[in-house]
Amino acid sequence: MRFFRNKRLFIFLIGFILLVMLVGYTYRERLNITFAEELINDTVGWIQSAVHIPVNFTVDVVSNIQEFKDTYEENQILKEQLSQYRSLVYEVQEVRKENEELRDVLNLLESDSIRSHEAIQAIVIARSPERWLEQVTINKGKKHGVQANMLVMTADGMIGKIQSASNYTSRVKLVTGFDQFNRISAMVSREDARNIFGMIEGFDEETNSLLFRIIEESEKDLEEGDLVLSSGMGGVFPAGVPIGTVKEVTSDQYGLTQIALVEPSADLYDINNVIILDRSVEQVEDLGDVVDDETEGDNEE
Amino acid sequence: MKKAYIPLILLVLVILEGLAINLLPKEIVLSDYLIIAHWVLAFLVYITVYYDEDDTYYSVIYAFIFGLFIDVIYTGILGVYMFSYGFVVYVMNRLRNLLYRNFYVLLLLGVIAFVMADFLIYIMYSVVGITDMVWQDYLLRRLLPTLAANLLFLLFLFPIFKKRLIRWSEEQLEQGN
Repeated sequence: MRFFRNKRLFIFLIGFILLVMLVGYTYRERLNITFAEELINDTVGWIQSAVHIPVNFTVDVVSNIQEFKDTYEENQILKEQLSQYRSLVYEVQEVRKENEELRDVLNLLESDSIRSHEAIQAIVIARSPERWLEQVTINKGKKHGVQANMLVMTADGMIGKIQSASNYTSRVKLVTGFDQFNRISAMVSREDARNIFGMIEGFDEETNSLLFRIIEESEKDLEEGDLVLSSGMGGVFPAGVPIGTVKEVTSDQYGLTQIALVEPSADLYDINNVIILDRSVEQVEDLGDVVDDETEGDNEE
Repeated sequence: MKKAYIPLILLVLVILEGLAINLLPKEIVLSDYLIIAHWVLAFLVYITVYYDEDDTYYSVIYAFIFGLFIDVIYTGILGVYMFSYGFVVYVMNRLRNLLYRNFYVLLLLGVIAFVMADFLIYIMYSVVGITDMVWQDYLLRRLLPTLAANLLFLLFLFPIFKKRLIRWSEEQLEQGN
């Protein structure tokens, strides 16, 4: 009977066991979340998108007033850039045409390229208050074709990947929260097929930059200011999405491989409109053209 | 109907926490300091001090429910906020019985609650490997700024909710008798 007199201790112990079970079950990367979680996320996401509009409006008005000061200067610079772009557009058209013709010669489909992708537009409706996790919520989900592990970018470059998708909302893990379990295969392009390949392995909080580990075999003439792009080699993300620029090159703690500190090209504070990229090639594989074990279970990227 | 006010306010606070980062200037968000919004906990402290009677546990029950909501909506790691909020508010509930109901007690309980809850969250996230911050860094870069920001929010709530909560508490007592 003494056991029941210690009711408080009993409840406390049960609670502790429950806590360990819950955390233990959920702390790892989960591609699928439970039905109850989806339901809560969808319902709250609906309210969040409603609340988001007036809040964003006021925030925008305040920042707009601040931006008025710089408008004239920016306008001058942009006009200059615009004239440069015009010539670039012609060049791109030519190159694209040529590319198409060459593909025809080789009998390659457009969808076979790891560059091609489908884009889904979305709006950020909330940002996790827990800063260690670096997550944002967007207003598109499974019903719109979003799935876990897709790449998320803004116009400036990559910002993260889909961590889990509910029916109408999904959670995005930002690159600032990446670790060894969320690697991205990346590259710096060079002429004559001397591209430098490597992996984005995580985020360094002290220097506020991504860690780009260069693969042993590739060239090592990395320079400051080089643009790092996704390479599409991991099998999940499309190729050619800008990730950031090289800030500094160092060697790792054993001196065996080189690590570059990469500054993300996208603004990770002010995220509003995002684009979710779905790689088209994977769908071809799903249809049964290529059946192999290598492409399956690839959630490392 | 009046019984639904408190859960509704808590739900609104959960949702607003997701927009809280927009209220901070860009320089602070991008700096080394981490400020975490514990607005739900702030309101739970109010419920403990001004709404709960000596033998009621509304605040503790709400702490578990809305802690779980925060876990589901914002982190995906279930149980961390739920148990840290739940445990801390239970301790607040017991402490309150030894003290009077006034402004200074509210502030004192607020400070204890924010520090305990955030520290419990830090311990749990360290154990599962979400963060590897050493505790000196944690103290300076996260705990102190978070405490200051949330105390401001606690003061902000005072003129809005103090009298209302006391009135709701009395009405609920009358209904009970």
